[in-house]
Amino acid sequence: MATLIPPSPATATTHPAAGPTNPTATEQPKVDYLNLPCPIPYEEIHREALMSLKPELFEGLRFDFTKGLNQKFSLSHSVMMGPTEVPSQSTETIKIPTANYEFGANFIDPKLMLFGRVMTDGRLNARLKCDLTENLTLKGNAQLTNEPHMSHGMFNFDYKGSDYRTQFQLGNGALFGASYIQSVSPHLSLGGEVFWAGQHRKSGIGYAARYNTDKMVTTGQVASTGMVALSYVQKVSEKVSLASDFMYNYMSRDVTASFGYDYILRQCRLRGKIDSNGVVAAFLEERFNMGLNFLLSAEIDHKKKDYKFGFGLTVGE
Amino acid sequence: MASLRLPSLKKSGGDDGGILSRLSDYPIVKKGKSTACDAAYVAKRLLKSTGKAAWIAATTFIVLGIPLIIEMDREAQFNEVELQQASLLGGAAPAHPGYM
Repeated sequence: MATLIPPSPATATTHPAAGPTNPTATEQPKVDYLNLPCPIPYEEIHREALMSLKPELFEGLRFDFTKGLNQKFSLSHSVMMGPTEVPSQSTETIKIPTANYEFGANFIDPKLMLFGRVMTDGRLNARLKCDLTENLTLKGNAQLTNEPHMSHGMFNFDYKGSDYRTQFQLGNGALFGASYIQSVSPHLSLGGEVFWAGQHRKSGIGYAARYNTDKMVTTGQVASTGMVALSYVQKVSEKVSLASDFMYNYMSRDVTASFGYDYILRQCRLRGKIDSNGVVAAFLEERFNMGLNFLLSAEIDHKKKDYKFGFGLTVGE
Repeated sequence: MASLRLPSLKKSGGDDGGILSRLSDYPIVKKGKSTACDAAYVAKRLLKSTGKAAWIAATTFIVLGIPLIIEMDREAQFNEVELQQASLLGGAAPAHPGYM
């Protein structure tokens, strides 16, 4: 359930509190319940925690280059090299070295956004975001691969009300989903979702709650798939936020808790986390110059003895 | 302990063997020997597990702590330079843009 805009270093490092909810109503003693702020979309309720705890860790080399041809159109080239994990039955991870080139084209207009990505291994990814009216937004996402049954497409219709948001989802394989989230007080919003996957004969229902002030964000989510997710983010200062999350799956009985920090400094952004599976990870984005970013990614899995280190360069933007 | 390593000597010596073999027959010596062996085993295990813990702690610190220390230090240096510039220019230092 990714957002349409790729979490590039520029967008990913925007202020986490820059959500649509407006905390100015807190000072008023009496709450105007007819004039509540608009909640953030249902699929993004864990946004702050995910941003701090789940950076895009990678292994090997990455080089990204983005060149704007004019105000609205830009091309991107990226090269990735390094070992990739091959899924296998044994507990040991098998890695084979791979190299990939990705070509992308972006069209960005306030009303219409189009993104296309082609990789040398034959994967194609296309995304679209279009504001149909003031409140109704259409999002599309399609992925084509040369492997059979791995291609999929999806359309989302998002409607944004004054103090609620609702989304309808349509995907291939007879996938239908709907979600609704409503602000019930200036800080608290509650939501629910239903989905039905016709091809796999599965359906589910989920609930979520989110409480945010300008200093902290707490979220909780349960779903009938057995997933329970809780997260808590505390903004210690303008530059530092601490995040923790807890995941529990009732069906597979696995529990994970993690704790991380997120430092947004003048020349860099540093994210680190440690979790209960014995995984330690850090992700550093260092700005050398305007439009030149250096990435360092490290992940150590003490339990599996799996070590991943990567470095990268982002040019442009 | 030495008698353990010299079984052939003991055999060749017969009944009235060396002083070491006779000494090792005493129950107190036997007991001491087994205690020493146990202690050595426990110490080895303890050393191994502390070594492992130290390794995990050290690698975790390298990944999580060292970048943080370096970046905090850099940030402090930036602030210092800016403060100096501000005092030199009479408080009219340009606001530095933050990391986007």
